[in-house]
Amino acid sequence: MRHLRLRETSTRLLLVASFAGLPLTLALGHEGHRVECNETAINALKADIQAMGEGGARTTASKEVDAAQQTMAKNDIEGCKSHIHSAMEATEK
Amino acid sequence: MPRTRWGLVIGSLVVLVCVAVAAIYAGLYNIAADVPHTQPVYWLFETIRQRSVATRARDIVVPHDLDDANRISKGASEYREMCSGCHLAPGMKRTEISQGLYPRAPELRRGTDLSPAEQFWIVKHGVKMTGMPAWGITHDDELLWDVVAFVRKLPEMTPEQYETLVKNAPKHEELMHEEMGGDHDHNAEHP
Repeated sequence: MRHLRLRETSTRLLLVASFAGLPLTLALGHEGHRVECNETAINALKADIQAMGEGGARTTASKEVDAAQQTMAKNDIEGCKSHIHSAMEATEK
Repeated sequence: MPRTRWGLVIGSLVVLVCVAVAAIYAGLYNIAADVPHTQPVYWLFETIRQRSVATRARDIVVPHDLDDANRISKGASEYREMCSGCHLAPGMKRTEISQGLYPRAPELRRGTDLSPAEQFWIVKHGVKMTGMPAWGITHDDELLWDVVAFVRKLPEMTPEQYETLVKNAPKHEELMHEEMGGDHDHNAEHP
């Protein structure tokens, strides 16, 4: 009887611990794909573009970064994020 | 040229040097790795690097057996251990170090314009202010040519082929042990 209660308590504790850690795990898992609109993100993309060979992908990425800078200056954060995302896709081609 | 004009030229040069020295000592140039160089500065450093490597690699004799499967297999193991963290590999996502390095380490699966001799020179001697180490200090030339042999094949490889090759390759520790027991000339640039 005593063993059964101990097992139930342990199982409950394990379940609580798993659910408590879940949001953190999801947040960390999502971290790699997060697109931000700020000076650091734009500079990182510019560094990526400098390392790219000449070609269509480089031109596209450069245009998207320019557009991201313009939209950031206008405080259009969603527009900026969209351009940064497109630039990232172009640098990965 | 009249004396007054010479004086003007020399005076301008002295002013330029003084301005440059003042700018350096005032710390005006930002050396942070998260702020890229302007395009002219980037071009200058890239051109210095390319010309320096091309000049120094000119007389290196390339081994005739770079297509040898054994070489490529050994190179795969060394590449995984020494290079993939920065230069990545087929099917590999960008690592934190590859995202933070400036200038960016080239992703070698995308191919290269460098000749095998130039690649060997870079692997052996490293490149100042890029994060590229001089592997020639700790590895002998034969092992470095194995890496070059593998890198030449990298752009043709699928992620599955890469994984299979690395899995079946001799381990890095074995190769280093073999190297220490071998009698290769450590500094022979001409195999």
